[in-house]
Amino acid sequence: MSGFAQGLLDALLRDTHLITPQLFLMVVATLMLWPGDLFFNRTEKHRWAPITLVVLAITAMLIGRTPDGEGFSRMFRMDGLTRGFQMLCVLGAAVTVSLSVKLLNSLKQQTVEYYALILFSLAGMLFLCGASDLISVYFSLELMAICIYILVAYLRDRATSVEAGVKYFLLGAFSSGILVYGISLLYGASGGATTNLADLNQALALTPTTSNLLVFSGVLMVLMGMAFKVAAVPFHMWSPDAYEGAPTPITLFMATAPKAAALAAFLRVFGAGLHGVSGDWVMPLSYIAGASMILGNVTAVRQESMKRLLAYSSIAHVGYMLLGVLSGDPKAGAQVVWLYMLIYLVMNTGAFAVVIYLQGKGEGERIEDFRGLGRKHPVLAFAMMIFLLSLAGIPPLAGFFGKFFLFKLAIEQGFVTLTTIALLTSVVGAYYYLGVVAQMYFREPEGEAAPMGASSVFIVSLACALVLVATAFGPWLVDWAAKITWV
Amino acid sequence: MFTANTTLMLVATFLPLLGALVLLLVPKDQRRVFEIGSLLVMIASFLLSAIFWFAYDRTSDAVQWAHAWNWIPAIGVKFSVGMDGISLLLWLLTTFIGPIAIACSFSSITERHKEYYIWMLVLQTAMLGVFITQDMFLFYLFWEVMLVPMYFLIAIWGGPQKLYAAIKLFLYTLAGGVLMLVAILAIYFLQHQATGAYDFSLASFQAMAPIIAQQSKTYQILLALAFFIGFAIKVPMFPFHTWLPDAHVQAPTAGSVILAAILLKMGTYGFVRFLLPILPDATKMLLKPFLILSLIGIIYGALVAMIQKDMKKLVAYSSVSHLGICMLGLFALNPYGIKGGMLQMINHGISTSGLFLAVGVVYERRHTRMIADFGGLSKNMPIYATIFMIMTMSSLGLPLLNGFIGEGVVLMGAFQAFPWAAVVATLGIILGAAYLLWMYQRVMFGSITPVNEKMADLNLREVLYFAPLVVVAFWIGMYPKPVMDVMDAPVKKLVEQITPGFHAAQALAAQQAAAAKVGMQGMAAPAHHEESAPAGHEAAPAGHEAPVHETPAPETHGHGGGH
Repeated sequence: MSGFAQGLLDALLRDTHLITPQLFLMVVATLMLWPGDLFFNRTEKHRWAPITLVVLAITAMLIGRTPDGEGFSRMFRMDGLTRGFQMLCVLGAAVTVSLSVKLLNSLKQQTVEYYALILFSLAGMLFLCGASDLISVYFSLELMAICIYILVAYLRDRATSVEAGVKYFLLGAFSSGILVYGISLLYGASGGATTNLADLNQALALTPTTSNLLVFSGVLMVLMGMAFKVAAVPFHMWSPDAYEGAPTPITLFMATAPKAAALAAFLRVFGAGLHGVSGDWVMPLSYIAGASMILGNVTAVRQESMKRLLAYSSIAHVGYMLLGVLSGDPKAGAQVVWLYMLIYLVMNTGAFAVVIYLQGKGEGERIEDFRGLGRKHPVLAFAMMIFLLSLAGIPPLAGFFGKFFLFKLAIEQGFVTLTTIALLTSVVGAYYYLGVVAQMYFREPEGEAAPMGASSVFIVSLACALVLVATAFGPWLVDWAAKITWV
Repeated sequence: MFTANTTLMLVATFLPLLGALVLLLVPKDQRRVFEIGSLLVMIASFLLSAIFWFAYDRTSDAVQWAHAWNWIPAIGVKFSVGMDGISLLLWLLTTFIGPIAIACSFSSITERHKEYYIWMLVLQTAMLGVFITQDMFLFYLFWEVMLVPMYFLIAIWGGPQKLYAAIKLFLYTLAGGVLMLVAILAIYFLQHQATGAYDFSLASFQAMAPIIAQQSKTYQILLALAFFIGFAIKVPMFPFHTWLPDAHVQAPTAGSVILAAILLKMGTYGFVRFLLPILPDATKMLLKPFLILSLIGIIYGALVAMIQKDMKKLVAYSSVSHLGICMLGLFALNPYGIKGGMLQMINHGISTSGLFLAVGVVYERRHTRMIADFGGLSKNMPIYATIFMIMTMSSLGLPLLNGFIGEGVVLMGAFQAFPWAAVVATLGIILGAAYLLWMYQRVMFGSITPVNEKMADLNLREVLYFAPLVVVAFWIGMYPKPVMDVMDAPVKKLVEQITPGFHAAQALAAQQAAAAKVGMQGMAAPAHHEESAPAGHEAAPAGHEAPVHETPAPETHGHGGGH
């Protein structure tokens, strides 16, 4: 007995180095809540933002230094895919924190919990990026999601925020149930032998034909649960409300970091674990992807709220990224999804930074609030135009570059119809993005321009520069994406 | 003096963009600086580009001044540039129209000058880029980039319905563009399967033609349709033309000029450069529908132009009709047809720009474009009336002016390939004469109202920007040989790509005809014309091969002159 315990302890100690970034995050976040919270009085809480940024920088460094490997009874893997998506999550958290300061200040809602929750949720995401077992996928998803439920409902004196949080929580819990049920079916189908993705792939290949239906139901339920987490149609209902109700930096957070982590899990679960039974999920997933592109883009056209517009546009972008998951070549799929997610993160951050700036003046919720921005604030409007055109995929901006690689892979893998749908719906996308551009440049402004915060200026100009020159530095991006390797 | 080379070509292409970046630093209220500055940049770009006209080696069909820099080696994208005669002509047309478009904006643009001239310069570089690129990825890039400045030019400085028109233009072209992208990628992967190489270069795409020809019929037709729709929207061909009247009517004068002279040419250029050489077999399979759409465009455009009350709309619909003639020439798939189609592109660029400028002149003075509001203008605006006359005549194809040569050569080509199509097209040309002359009559003659009497004739600036158009219209009309020579070799190569062995067959047919002539002279048999005429394009043109350039088509303009 003690021998077993000793062995377990040894194994844990041996594998701990794989999860140093997550451990670091959780320890720091716990310390921030207590006794850290006692260091600053009520008016000084905003000082947590720079501290969080430093923590995030250290986390990124730790991720860079963590070696490849597999551990914890093969529940967690550190490889190129994990590292790449973990970096995206950290980046997403960092821009969220920097953009939060001014808004939370003006709402007088600065607390240490806000930053600690972001860090806890980030730890969940970092686990999720490397989860190589259905069980670890599930608990990392929950760790990530539960923190975000709270963050969505963070402005607890606002009805919309609370409503969004409750809605997200209920639907999220429901979908988690479906996911767990799917996992248990797959576990049963594999003969009750394993939930490890690599083993599962082999075990499912050996299942007798009589359990085909069992496997199919299990795959479908896992697919539904995952589709909910990335907000793909028809499991997207929560996302516009949650996006609209949440504090805007958290909306940005939801659109980037958890999405990147969930896509990493998506890639790993379906690319590694269920690759052998791809016949069961390729068809449903292509319908989900197609429906996300169509519904996301078409519904966005009618939106009047900027945050809802960006929510629907994010549904559409997820639809595009699912093309990469569908790819019969999981490695190439992971690379293009990563590249697209990186670019999407940059341009979305830029767009949200502008929304947050306008919101600081009590505007920005509605598309109408953008009217005349071209006159009032030419540089900001120009940057916003670049972000929107990039989201629409107009060359030579970064968004086009991401789309190009994604669609190139999809055509290579034979998804021509789906790619054509993707391209044609991206034309619809251009319509509503340009609608915002039209508001900025062709409507008369009202009111005066307010000064921008330094961090927003920095983020907007950096994101704008990156989006503008991305195509010129295409070779570098391709080289980076080539590092997203996994077995 | 400079010698023409790749660097100089890139300088001429990117000079406008550079100018735009410099103007970005000038404070907003310096209106004169923007006007003169952008004009000078455009003129400099034109002068640089003119060198290429003289340096072009007319005996070679190769892509000249070609150079490629590696850009994204992982997927075979190169920054690859170069021009052959076909690109050179359109490239020069673009640099030629540039200064004119700027010069006509001085008085018509009354607000937001800085943005306007910067967008114009950016647009110029994007358009020039389309014509020099030799890489499909790069081509797609320039093709789409061009849309953004055009969108702003229409949406900020346009008429009352400008937002609608601008977004319509944007979405139509984008939709066509993305379909084209799918086709480009499909060919790219087919190429990878066939050769194992990842390459986006135009030459490698054109080399794919025989391999594509072996694919299934459905595959070929789908590819051809994707390209066709992409380009047909831009041309625009019936039934994809509906964005054009909106965009033209709402755009500021310079926007209309650029739209008509250059942007529409990108569609036709796309056909010449991509659809015909890459997918010759599929094009032949779909030739009948393509031809019928071109013919519908010719007739429909002319009929709709006839009933327009707005001068600008009339000219816009006349574009639909005239580009139908271009497309008819291209789809004849023989040297006359393609050369005629190319020449007609240049001609349309000259004459329709002239007409749009002319409409712009009266619009600036009276703020109306309705034909009914005018009349008798020739009394107080004699210079204007003369120039308008020349442009109208150039557009309807009066001999001695450029339109005549272009339409004549197109009809010759079309007649060789599809006599019935040439007959229908002739009808369109007659209608063209009708609506243009009718408009001229209603605007220029008749009684004059007191308001119109106060309108001033053209000032020096206006005369100056019309002058180059008039000169070129007469030059091409009287001596088209230099223009024809430039495209001679590339068109020959293109026809060979479309129909391998075309020229050999023609030479053989010519020999046979000569032999028959000798033989028949001996036998004095008079019936050989009946034998060769219905035999289609293999035998019929044989006798015409030598006197290509100066031979007009007498049967067409007998009708046209009647009005």
